[in-house]
Amino acid sequence: MQEMANGKMHFSAPVSKDRIISKFPKWYTPQACLQMKDHWHTRVKTACQDRTTRNVGMKMSKVVVVGDLYVGKTCLINRFCKDMFDRDYKATIGVDFEIERFELSGVPYSLQIWDTAGQEKFKCIASTYYRGAQVIIIVFDLADIRTLEHTRQWLQEAMRENDPGSCFIFLVGTKRDLLSSAECHRTERDAVKMASEMQAEFWSVSSKTGENVREFFFRVAALAFEGSMLRDLEGAGSHSHIGAGDLIRIDQGTAEEPKAKSVKKLSCC
Amino acid sequence: MAESNPAVAVKRSASAGLSAISAEAIEGLTELDELERVYQQLCDEEKQVESELEALISQQGNIETKMLALQRMGPNLQLIEGDATQLSGMITFTCSLAENVSSKVRQLDLAKNRLYQAIQRADDILDLKFCTDGVQTALRNEDYEQAAAHVHRYLSLDQSVIELSRQGGESSAVDASLALLQEAEQRLKALVKERLDQAIADGDLAQVERFFKIFPLLGLHDQGLARFAQYLCAQLAKKAEENLLLAVGGELGERRAALIFADTLTLLLEGIARIVETHQPIVETYYGPGRLYTLIKHLQVECDRQAEKVVDKFIQQRDYQNKFQIVQSSMMRSMSTEKIEPRELDPVLLEVTVMNSRAELYLRFLRRRITADFEVGDATAPKSTVQEHQQSLEKLLTHCLLSRNMQELIGYYIPMEEYYMRESVNKAVAMDTYEKGQLTSSMVDDCFYIVKKCISRALSSSSIDCLCAMINHATSVLESDFREVLYNKLRQGFPATTLQDIQRGVSSAVSLMQTSLQQGKFNTLGIESAEDAKASFLVTLNNVEVCSENIITLKKNLESDCSKLFSQGFGSGEQAQAKIDSCLSDLVSTSSKFKDLLQEGLTELNNTAIKPQVKPWISNFLSISHNIEEDEFNEYEANDPWVQQFIVNLEQLMAEFKAGLSPVIYDTLTSLMTSLISLEMEKTVLKCTFSRLGGLQFDKELRSLVTYLTTVTTWTIRDKFARLTQMATILNLERVTEILDYWGPNSGPLTWRLTPAEVRQVLALRIDFRSEDIKRLRL
Ligand SMILES: Nc1nc2c(ncn2[C@@H]2O[C@H](COP(=O)(O)OP(=O)(O)O)[C@@H](O)[C@H]2O)c(=O)[nH]1
Ligand SMILES: [Mg+2]
Repeated sequence: MQEMANGKMHFSAPVSKDRIISKFPKWYTPQACLQMKDHWHTRVKTACQDRTTRNVGMKMSKVVVVGDLYVGKTCLINRFCKDMFDRDYKATIGVDFEIERFELSGVPYSLQIWDTAGQEKFKCIASTYYRGAQVIIIVFDLADIRTLEHTRQWLQEAMRENDPGSCFIFLVGTKRDLLSSAECHRTERDAVKMASEMQAEFWSVSSKTGENVREFFFRVAALAFEGSMLRDLEGAGSHSHIGAGDLIRIDQGTAEEPKAKSVKKLSCC
Repeated sequence: MAESNPAVAVKRSASAGLSAISAEAIEGLTELDELERVYQQLCDEEKQVESELEALISQQGNIETKMLALQRMGPNLQLIEGDATQLSGMITFTCSLAENVSSKVRQLDLAKNRLYQAIQRADDILDLKFCTDGVQTALRNEDYEQAAAHVHRYLSLDQSVIELSRQGGESSAVDASLALLQEAEQRLKALVKERLDQAIADGDLAQVERFFKIFPLLGLHDQGLARFAQYLCAQLAKKAEENLLLAVGGELGERRAALIFADTLTLLLEGIARIVETHQPIVETYYGPGRLYTLIKHLQVECDRQAEKVVDKFIQQRDYQNKFQIVQSSMMRSMSTEKIEPRELDPVLLEVTVMNSRAELYLRFLRRRITADFEVGDATAPKSTVQEHQQSLEKLLTHCLLSRNMQELIGYYIPMEEYYMRESVNKAVAMDTYEKGQLTSSMVDDCFYIVKKCISRALSSSSIDCLCAMINHATSVLESDFREVLYNKLRQGFPATTLQDIQRGVSSAVSLMQTSLQQGKFNTLGIESAEDAKASFLVTLNNVEVCSENIITLKKNLESDCSKLFSQGFGSGEQAQAKIDSCLSDLVSTSSKFKDLLQEGLTELNNTAIKPQVKPWISNFLSISHNIEEDEFNEYEANDPWVQQFIVNLEQLMAEFKAGLSPVIYDTLTSLMTSLISLEMEKTVLKCTFSRLGGLQFDKELRSLVTYLTTVTTWTIRDKFARLTQMATILNLERVTEILDYWGPNSGPLTWRLTPAEVRQVLALRIDFRSEDIKRLRL
């Protein structure tokens, strides 16, 4: 969880109406989803009703979008953030980013969405943003099955910088408008398999028609929000200990010494 | 004011006649009370009606005056009506008159236009003749400018008019002229092209410019620009090849040699910029605004070609690719056969950033020039054209080979710079030294020096993405790698004091060995000396604090560096600033992680080094009786039994930390210590019993202690000792009930930190206070 230290984030205008999420958004398919439940976690719900939660300042999660060149990453983000679709292809250079503001259960919340370039030469730039991501969105082109095969590689690279289990992973197939429903069905079956292998949630969208795009990002926002709230709620107690017994410390009457030498490895976030 | 309300009045009269009470109702009344009440009501009503009437009557005069005024106005109104009718008639008349006139004017206008057209046509035909004659003469005299001017005149004639003239009476004459002109036009075009090509081949700038200026007159803008560019490119290529030859040829001083490819690229790009500067006026004057883009597009092809040669030579001679591969493989597997010394990468990393910054500077120059030129050219153009031009400019700049080449170079640069940073930081950690008397050890300064150096180098590339990537790497190195190093050092803990070591004697050394062996590692530091371990712990605390400060400074400096960069027009994309902000805020958030670490370290120090010492010193208080009489009190006065020794002990204990910790950290530590003391004292005092003089003794002791502690820290002690001070106050009372002079409404400015139960508990410590009195107390 990171809060923008920078004052700019705080005094922003109220969240736009179409970014208010009150009902917990549903999965795309139960065969490959991160959570089956259809309501907020009770602890999160209680915390949301607490006024102090609402006033802690803007919470923000980092979302990184990866995938092959030309699969439609930029279009997916543009469809959601700017509600537009550009038929002309403009390769992303380095990284781009958008901040999208939401209100979930009455609490303001932002996604910082990093759009990366698929080209090899930009990987060295894009990969520096993987670290500390709460959400990793791996995009492939439903009409190009090779791009689905490459998603495994993308996941591996993104997870190299993150602790296992620390991120929500989404596998998104784009351009479903280009496929017949039979074709779509077939590819989706493969994708679902891949997604469950990755422990990712699968979505099938079209940035051209806008189909499922909004639903998808709402789901992302809700899971990221809930995840970070839960982490905050738990996080308060668990601190690592310094000098909890190591070589040089000489015990003073072993009976007094606390047994739990919790030498938890310090990891990021 | 119900009287003056007509609605009420109407309602009343409508619903119940004159009165709310009917006559029958009155007759039916038998009781006196009732009668009186009704009578009273009727009287009220009467009064009301009277006042209403009065109000109405008082208005009468007013209304009459108004009526009179209205009557006087009658005749005037009739007059006005007559005038209005007359006016309307006049307007109608004027209107039709105007329409009449204007239709005539329209006709006149039409006639005039036709006349003009006729004159224009006559003029055109005359011009045509004139041009025909002129072109011939000019061509004969090799006055190509004049000839072109005639052709230009002809080309700008209205072609449809010429067509009409041909159909008219004098068709044959016109036809002949036209044929001659067209022929002359073709001849001139061929001639001019030929002469320009010749001039280009000869490298004759004067002639090139002469014929270049003629092209737009013949409507051959694009061809003219293309040929001119061809000339410029040839010049450019010649110079660039010479320069590159010189560069690879060597024979340069050491200093110039290190950046020779960057210099060569700079020469190339500056050369193009100079060409643009020199020739932009001629293009603008003879070709009009909005054409610079076309010229530059041609030039860029040559620029790309030449730049690629420089880049290729750079990669080849500097072994760039190979270095990258070695770096990459040693980063993937930490145990690699071949490894590059970070220092070896310095020159090549610098050269790449210089190259990129030159390219950025050049592209920024092009963007500025072309945009300005388009702005003039597109002043009246539709929005779609403006957009189209913007897009083609964008495409030219971002997709030109120069850009792509640079992107590739930077693509290799970033991992190498990352390697440089990580390796150098690792080295700094491995070679960490600390000199006695210094607060921090060498690795902190070294590490931040390296991080700053790498980020500055990335910044000097002028590429925002490159800079952001390196900031991200720096964040990762500091937050994970470097913090981990410090964390591990702190985890070794602060050893117990030497005194205790001696007390424990051999057994502790044995247990120490055992723990070490059990954990499967044997850290020499463990046995080396406890003194070193202590120093190491304190130095690490200082290091951690300096890190957290340094990160904040680093961020601030970067912020101002970036705003300089932006003010120079780099990173014009609206996102650049936002990206930088985001990366910098990630960076600065690591500062607080170091602060957390410091806090943990201090807590540890307090728990292991201070608490075990301070606790017994405070327990000593118990062995000093506070149930004392005059004699003992005087005896204590002469020979202080506890507090002076306690203070001396504290002074000795803290001396080590005062010397070894930075003032800020030491201050925080003393604050932790004072909290500890106040807490322990409180517990201890509650285990004692006091006489009246014992209470006074305690009050004196507490005052000494607080006075001492106030001198060792900048934090406010009084607040931490508020509860103890209040306990002393209670223990000093004459009588139980005296507490009431300070309690509740009598507390004055004093805020009690003790609960009533605690007050009773403290009162009970006084052996001379009776428990019944305490119980009876109303608090
Ligand atoms: N038909 C269709 N085309 C799409 C869709 N999404 C993207 N595209 C096209 O695919 C190309 C690549 O898209 P882009 O978002 O730039 O890919 P990126 O390289 O992954 O960022 C563009 O030409 C888009 O117009 C989609 O949902 N349907
Ligand atoms: Mg893209």
